[in-house]
Amino acid sequence: MMLLEHDAKELLAADDIPVPMGVLAATADVALPPSLRAPFMVKAQIAVGGRGKAGGIKRAASIADLHQGLGELLGRTIKGQTVRACRIEQRVEGMECYLSVSLDPTRGRLRVLLSFEGGVDIEAHAERGALHSADTEFKEHEAIAAASRLANTIANPARETIVHAAERLITEFFAFEATLLEVNPLFIRPDGSWTAGDLKLVIDDNALVRQPRLCDLIRHRANAYPELALKLNHGFDFVVVDPDGEIGLVTTGAGLSMQMIDELAERGHPAFNFCDIRTGQLRGDPTRLINVFQWIAAGRNVRSVLINFFAGITHLGEVAKLLVTALNAVPELRVPVTARLIGNGYDEAIAVFANAGHPLRVEPDLDRAIELALAPLTGARP
Amino acid sequence: MTAPGVVHVPFVTPDVATIVQGMTGRTGRRHAQLMRAYGTRIVGGVSPKSDDDEVDGLPVFKTCIEAVMATGAIASVAMVPPLSVLDAIREAVSAGIKLVVTIAEGMPIRDAVAALEIVHAAGVRWIGPSTPGLAIPGKLKLGFLPDVSLAPGPLGIMAKSGTLSYEVCHRLVGRGIGQSLWVGVGGDSVKGARFADVLPFMLTDPDTHGIVVIGEIGGSEEEELAAAMRALHCRKPVYALIAGRTVREGVTMGHAGAMIQGDIGTIASKTEALAGAGAHVFTRIRDLVDAVATGVKAKGEQACS
Repeated sequence: MMLLEHDAKELLAADDIPVPMGVLAATADVALPPSLRAPFMVKAQIAVGGRGKAGGIKRAASIADLHQGLGELLGRTIKGQTVRACRIEQRVEGMECYLSVSLDPTRGRLRVLLSFEGGVDIEAHAERGALHSADTEFKEHEAIAAASRLANTIANPARETIVHAAERLITEFFAFEATLLEVNPLFIRPDGSWTAGDLKLVIDDNALVRQPRLCDLIRHRANAYPELALKLNHGFDFVVVDPDGEIGLVTTGAGLSMQMIDELAERGHPAFNFCDIRTGQLRGDPTRLINVFQWIAAGRNVRSVLINFFAGITHLGEVAKLLVTALNAVPELRVPVTARLIGNGYDEAIAVFANAGHPLRVEPDLDRAIELALAPLTGARP
Repeated sequence: MTAPGVVHVPFVTPDVATIVQGMTGRTGRRHAQLMRAYGTRIVGGVSPKSDDDEVDGLPVFKTCIEAVMATGAIASVAMVPPLSVLDAIREAVSAGIKLVVTIAEGMPIRDAVAALEIVHAAGVRWIGPSTPGLAIPGKLKLGFLPDVSLAPGPLGIMAKSGTLSYEVCHRLVGRGIGQSLWVGVGGDSVKGARFADVLPFMLTDPDTHGIVVIGEIGGSEEEELAAAMRALHCRKPVYALIAGRTVREGVTMGHAGAMIQGDIGTIASKTEALAGAGAHVFTRIRDLVDAVATGVKAKGEQACS
């Protein structure tokens, strides 16, 4: 998961990594601390690359400019993401450099990139040969040594400062079990000081369980990281993919859930959510199902619910009982429910639903189940 | 199908002696029995904490090395929690195990990188993390691929997603088309076997007449596969389904590896690479299943035996 720039900066600033002083603003009438003065940078907090090029960063020479910039950015959609907050920070001067450390997942190695020219056009530097690259073992001391070697290939007065900054930043990369740390621009000044002008930090979701500071961050900023916060709190995946989505999905398995969202979209009906509930982990407890039905019921445009459980091992009779309990516990879910079930105990599941008297349609074929689920939206008679 | 002079080394042998690490746990015990019932030669299990010498008629050892010494096991299925996977791999490799399958979801990347270094140094094949396992249908199952989707037949299956591959293969089996080898590579970004690592085995396997690839957004594995298809002059038909075309950049969709970052991991990049290498790329399950069925029939190949 990519952290928002503001969070990445505050996290690393706590370890004394120099970052421009800044605050987070969710509204245009933010009160600035007295020490934060013009000129400013106003930066949309969205977790995408190429934010500057897409117009997500504004310069502001005055308070009036700042308010204008905030007004333009807040609420805007950039590269598919809505800007809910901006980081306002002091504009920093210095020579612009570039540093990144990233995992090469194919080979399980590290790539260190360094340039004495920073800015939004890093790809252009690469084409000109100004971007220096090293491939190393995935080890802290190897990465630091590689950065140092790269810096030493160039006769530049900023070299020592760069080496120092790289050492500090690589230490942070390993401490937080990151997969990407990119600083662009990395400001270097003649007096040997430096500042991480922009900071991109991608963390390993699987390592969260042993990263208490990252867990705290995700929990405190649950609104900014709803999917990750939900996974930490509930132990499974649920992502609202379209707040206006028409179909609520109760599914197990990430790949099949993604595929169903794709196939619904192709039929012209956006899904409300992605869901990997992991039926094998239910173990007789309907809580996850109840939660998912409640979250789906809150979808303002949801008109149909489609359950899809391809149970390799889990007994469908047990699943059916849990489904009935959960549906009864969420009376606010008033839309038709279609269940595609396949696996052991199908007949028992049918009997459970019949006895419960719940008007739930059960279908063993996925394409047919999708048609049934879409019928209330299209007016077709399934 | 195999070209003259090309020696086929099987990905896994059907009668491989296998132990289960974590066999006295809830999951381990259950799946040890299910794998055994399927025909897998489970010869014992490892559980450092258990005081039992035997569970369900299988010997239980305190360490991998004891298990290997007593049983001659060559493969291991590790049914341990995500934070214990690295230790399980380390122990299996140092005991002389040559094939290790780790099913746990949620192995930290740093651990996976360390595991990769260990298996590479020892020449050990690692399937996982976060995989439902692999199978030679009708003969061997290492992991928990569902029986309803398994049948002997002409297709090599490689899949990032468990459930999506279950769905696809279930439908194909319904059309009378089974599998020669099925490898779940898992949905993580750093992993033991990648698509491109599995390809050579399927290309040289005389029982594999077509390959089904179940990919998804994120990472570059599909692009690597496309490069390998070109490099190996792949002449077997490859049918690919890539899930996640509607996923937003920066959001992780269940699988740790299923995330788009900038231009890397997009559906466009994967589709272009695979189609460019000669694969048939599909967006709907039904279309892929139809195309495979048509292709198999046209070749007059034997379907489910």
